[in-house]
Amino acid sequence: MSHSHDHDHEHDHEHPAAPMVEEITDFEVLEIAVRELAIEKGLFTAEDHRKFTEWAEQIGPAAGSRLVAKAWTDPAYKARVLNDAVEACKEIGIDWTEPTGSGTPSDYMNLRVLEDTPTLHHVIVCTLCSCYPRPLLGHSPYWYRSPNYRRRLIRWPRQVLAEFGLLMSPEVEIRVEDSNQKCRFMVLPARPGGTEGWSEEQLAEIVTRDTMIGVALPRAGRTADDTRPVHKARRPVPHETEARP
Amino acid sequence: MPTRDELSKYYSTSAQFSPVHHQQNDWPYEIANGEFTAYMVPPHDVGGQADSPVRYEEKEEELWELNTYVTCEVLGWRGIWNSEERRRRGNNDLGASLYYGFPYYGRWIWSAARMLVDKNHVTLTELLEKVAEVKARNEQR
Repeated sequence: MSHSHDHDHEHDHEHPAAPMVEEITDFEVLEIAVRELAIEKGLFTAEDHRKFTEWAEQIGPAAGSRLVAKAWTDPAYKARVLNDAVEACKEIGIDWTEPTGSGTPSDYMNLRVLEDTPTLHHVIVCTLCSCYPRPLLGHSPYWYRSPNYRRRLIRWPRQVLAEFGLLMSPEVEIRVEDSNQKCRFMVLPARPGGTEGWSEEQLAEIVTRDTMIGVALPRAGRTADDTRPVHKARRPVPHETEARP
Repeated sequence: MPTRDELSKYYSTSAQFSPVHHQQNDWPYEIANGEFTAYMVPPHDVGGQADSPVRYEEKEEELWELNTYVTCEVLGWRGIWNSEERRRRGNNDLGASLYYGFPYYGRWIWSAARMLVDKNHVTLTELLEKVAEVKARNEQR
């Protein structure tokens, strides 16, 4: 805790000065303790943990990008997506029953894909916590879990979108969907102009994570989300950059 | 064991987290109905509260955070808790001080430790001994 790099330094005085060697935090200790006790008590095996980690490290927004690109180029596929998104995910290689055979314990297998139109824009939030379509988009960004985003998006959606750099015309209706444990949402943005004749692979490149949350819009040439300040990890997940673009 | 001075620091810090510490008479006989309602608002229900803009950042994931996510999920996979019953409630119903005071995955791992003790999978002594062992192991490095 003494190495928290957030903007709140008021509690620093209660801890001794940082030692020369980077100190292990109380949460790191607790994480190791809980994991080791659970394995020692036979609640799960190290192999269970390894297998789940392998799955958790390879999920990411690339799957969602493929789904959107395919839906843009194939109207019949789009209809299947809007009808039964979990089933339609199989066609782009995402099986929501992974990695346990019955899905993850927290991602209930019910997904609704929200189709944007020129006059309707969707954006997703989870006001109660952090529900997010992990199998398709990977782990949620930290700001998505923040009380600030959660409380403000549903009250001032246009203002919050503007803070993300997305200025929506007053003629466009903004619809905020509040995710919950029994239903996950993902935004299917409208296909932008200037992409006529593009292949699915080309289209997928402009479908970034933020466009599927609804805080950005895809456009030709925009292949990455806007740059934001990055809070660096002290001991990051190895190879995170490769696993989570 | 913390020293007297250390304990005093911890108490004064926690008093800043909890407004009730500032009342001389901290043994209420009755409270106003409005006060009861205020206590009943779950801290994780944040919809509609007033707030001001902040700078949204991206955050790299710490290894312990990924491990925490996986441990909590695998505990669910193996039927030790289900996500509705203890997991979600454990992550969220901590009281406002811990809810806003802990990092996101700090709440997760804290609730997992608490669940293991609550459901008698480990005793509190076993948990504390393991925590001490892990700390000692890391100090030796």
